[in-house]
Amino acid sequence: MNWKNIKLIFMREVRDQLRDRRTLFMVAVLPLLLYPALGIGMMQMMVAMDEQVQTVLVVGADEIPEPELIREGHFAPEFFSFANDAKKLRVITDGSLSLKNAELDEDSFSKFQDFLELIDKERETLNRLADIQEQVFGIKDAEKPKVELIAEEADLRKQVTSWFSVAPAQVLVVFPNGFKKHYEAIDDHFAAGDFELSDLESSPHAIILHNSANEKSNIAYQRVRKALKEWEKVLLKQRLETASLPIYLPDPVQAIAVDLAEADEIAANAWSKIFPALLVIMCVTGAFYPAIDLGAGEKERGTMETLLISPAMRTEIVLGKFFTVMLFSISTALLNLASMGFTGRHVLTTVGNAGSSPIGDLSFPPMLSLMWVVLLAMPLSALFSAMSLSLAMFAKSSKEGQYYLTPLLMVTMGLTMFCLSPSVELTPYLSILPVVGPALLLKALLLGGATSSAAWVYVIPVLLTSSFYSILALWWAIELFQSESILFREAEQFELGLWVKHLLRDKEATPSFLEAGVCFMLISILQFNFLTSIQKNPSMLADPVNMFRFQLIYLIATVGVPPVLMAIMLTKNPLKSLKLKLPSWKMLGAAVVLPLSLQPLSLELLSRLDHLFPPVPAGAEELLKAMSSDAVPLWLTFVTFAIAPAVCEELAFRGFILSGLQRSRHKWLPIVISAVLFGVIHMIPKQMFNASLLGLVLGLLAVRSRSLIPCMIFHVIFNGTQILIPHLPEKTFDGNLVHFAVTITKGEDGVVTAVGFNAAFLAICLAISATLIYWLVKHGQSPEDAEPHQSSDDRLIVE
Amino acid sequence: MIRVQDLTKEFTDLKRGPVAAVNRVSFEVKPGEIFGLLGPNGAGKTTCLRILSTVLKPTSGQALVAGYDVARFPEAVRANIGFMSGNTGIYDRMTACEMVEYYGRLYGIEENRLQDRIDEIFETLQMNEIRDVLGLKMSTGMKQKVSIARTIVHDPPVLIFDEPTSGLDVLVARAVLETVAQLRDAGKCIIYSTHIMREVEKLCDRVAIIHKGDILDTGTVEELVEKHDQPDIEEVFFKLIRSVDPTENTAQSGMKFIS
Repeated sequence: MNWKNIKLIFMREVRDQLRDRRTLFMVAVLPLLLYPALGIGMMQMMVAMDEQVQTVLVVGADEIPEPELIREGHFAPEFFSFANDAKKLRVITDGSLSLKNAELDEDSFSKFQDFLELIDKERETLNRLADIQEQVFGIKDAEKPKVELIAEEADLRKQVTSWFSVAPAQVLVVFPNGFKKHYEAIDDHFAAGDFELSDLESSPHAIILHNSANEKSNIAYQRVRKALKEWEKVLLKQRLETASLPIYLPDPVQAIAVDLAEADEIAANAWSKIFPALLVIMCVTGAFYPAIDLGAGEKERGTMETLLISPAMRTEIVLGKFFTVMLFSISTALLNLASMGFTGRHVLTTVGNAGSSPIGDLSFPPMLSLMWVVLLAMPLSALFSAMSLSLAMFAKSSKEGQYYLTPLLMVTMGLTMFCLSPSVELTPYLSILPVVGPALLLKALLLGGATSSAAWVYVIPVLLTSSFYSILALWWAIELFQSESILFREAEQFELGLWVKHLLRDKEATPSFLEAGVCFMLISILQFNFLTSIQKNPSMLADPVNMFRFQLIYLIATVGVPPVLMAIMLTKNPLKSLKLKLPSWKMLGAAVVLPLSLQPLSLELLSRLDHLFPPVPAGAEELLKAMSSDAVPLWLTFVTFAIAPAVCEELAFRGFILSGLQRSRHKWLPIVISAVLFGVIHMIPKQMFNASLLGLVLGLLAVRSRSLIPCMIFHVIFNGTQILIPHLPEKTFDGNLVHFAVTITKGEDGVVTAVGFNAAFLAICLAISATLIYWLVKHGQSPEDAEPHQSSDDRLIVE
Repeated sequence: MIRVQDLTKEFTDLKRGPVAAVNRVSFEVKPGEIFGLLGPNGAGKTTCLRILSTVLKPTSGQALVAGYDVARFPEAVRANIGFMSGNTGIYDRMTACEMVEYYGRLYGIEENRLQDRIDEIFETLQMNEIRDVLGLKMSTGMKQKVSIARTIVHDPPVLIFDEPTSGLDVLVARAVLETVAQLRDAGKCIIYSTHIMREVEKLCDRVAIIHKGDILDTGTVEELVEKHDQPDIEEVFFKLIRSVDPTENTAQSGMKFIS
């Protein structure tokens, strides 16, 4: 690879993009104009929203006890946290109406008059409704609500809704007749010290009528409720004084909340929500448009072939283009964030009166956080750049390329939404996922304080895994660019029937890359369907024997059958596709020794890392327990958990899928990908980790021996030992040699609770495993296996 | 300079299965010679030339260009050829000078030699007035000049032209043909594909008639005319095609029209 060429191509592409007005507009002009414009727009909307005053009608205002709740057509401002809020509610009382309020014009005056009359008539209905509500939902009656009552409630509610929906007020407050008198009478009793509890219980209720489904009514109600709460606090205080009781009585704990948040921390909180989401979305859009221009656009304009006949290698061309796309992706993302931050600081904070504005004080995040943004933008934009470039290489025209943006954006948006949810926090498991890992890490780092120092441990794993995903995507782009059929894809009419016929007729010896991918998708979909079908009737799993039988069928049907059928139908040489041939004796030896030496290492590693993984779901836990219990015959356990997985999973992952992946030029990457896919299919995070690691060894074994048989033997032994050890008679563990290696702790029910290994024993296992793996990597190929891999067109070519 | 032996390229067609676009083709081209590939559209000319320029890889057979095997040393082959076709466009947002400079650098030409070379080429091709014009604003003729300049900037010993005159008006086409002839006189090894009989007669030292992936006959224009006892190369062409594909009769009028 020649870096000079990559640099040349990179410089040309950057200059070309900078000369393109559309790109400049997307990358620079749009963000610089968009956010300030949005900020100003939002401000104006907030101002406009503020001016909307809601109306509250209070019936029976004369019955309101002291202190004064309503003053000059509003609730008294002292009952609001911000005095100005009182002005946002206009209060009309029946008293003020009789005096003919000056604020009301003739028309609305008569409206209110009519409404008041209506309420007078409907008072009984209202009281009854409130009564039932109290009986059904209140604390008074612990008995189950009667069915008739619920029916009556629904009926009454319908009646009330019909007239309240056209009412001139958003909230109606009704104080019953005689409320004040009753209230004062109770106060008198308190003062005299001769009150009865029944007095309190029989006191009449005020009713607040509102409709939470109506936005205006809901906003007004929230305000009214808060004001009434404050007002009630004062009433309570007065009553406690009258009864000569301490005013702290209703507040036995008297907790005092002290808010330590500084202004910049509040800002950090807001930024930690906005920045990661915006960064992800902008990295995608910033990468996508230049990528389409550099990929499909060049094909369309005919300059791609010109470039292909230059001495630059295809890898160099892809890398040059990739760095260009990445540069634009990062620039778009950072410019957007900068513009957004600037808008937040200068537009929103200067106008929004800091504390009361709904977003809070948006001062700029600290420098250190900004550095994190830049650092994490790298792997994100690298991933999206490589993916967009792959799609762009695949597309025949820019127009076709545009179609691929929507699915890419949808998936990214879904992941971003997930990360935005406040309950989602960085865990070891989430940290290794693409996009989610960096987004959550950034969220944690931007928060500052304790959260960010806890997130520090994740920096390295997140950067490593996301770099891995980026490299994988880049590799995909390069693979696509090497493929003639994709580079010179002709616009031929696509017919499903013809295509299926073609697949069945023009078979190749081993599966193609695409067929391997389809096989994996098929397995995933089948597994998903099977799992959802069990969740629908969990009774199936009540009996462990049934559960095991089900697991067996499930494995064969979802994992075993697809690769075999696909190999028979889609390839000329199914035996080769599934690697069904006799291996050399050396390989068989390795297949027997490796699982035995790796088993203790794997168990030890998993128990060490146990705390990093989320707990195993209940269903899987049951299954694991049943494995070592005596309720199921041992042979069934062995077949279900050792033989069946060994056969089915090997056929799929080291057979069909690995054969398909091996069609690429790379030596090791197919093994890594098949191992990752093998991990993914295990679904439980801990198992995923373990299976991926084992998948690497199994893949190596399969590639080196060109046979599935060592893999199956390895798999049977590996799983088998886990099943058999708990079932061995107690005596087996008496020997000195065993004592040297293993200590097994059994719980009261005879179930193994822990397996511990001696450090020296582990060291021996490690030495054996490492030697064998080294041998496989370095010298594993036996002479008869060294023949060149014969396969389709471009295999023989050394580049 | 170019030696092609049993070169075959198969594509997979949805309807027909594997189809040989080029079928066991063999020929040789020497320095100072223009070798013509004459055939109708879809004959396999472009596929054959794409293999020679290493953009496509052969299914079987061998092709040596400037002494390098196209399958094993594609970079070395590309460094030694100039390739121009209707599909090799020029960049819209680059000036003529930048475009030629860019390719000169990709070919690894030293910086001061490159400037001299560009001046020289711009002088011979009379394109100094379009030096700083963006590709977007060029006429078809100007674009073709830039393409030629791009093709010869590294002074390659082998040149491959794939229907370089398609879509050009007569004046520009004539200028292109003159340039190709001059390059031959400069000792280049040239392979030239076309479906236009006049161009073959005027330009090519030897010609291969290719149809549906097969080379039907090879020789100088005179040899072919004499051998098949026809008045001109056009009649030779139709006779050969009819001999392998009698149904092709109806296409005769169409072919005449094109030529």
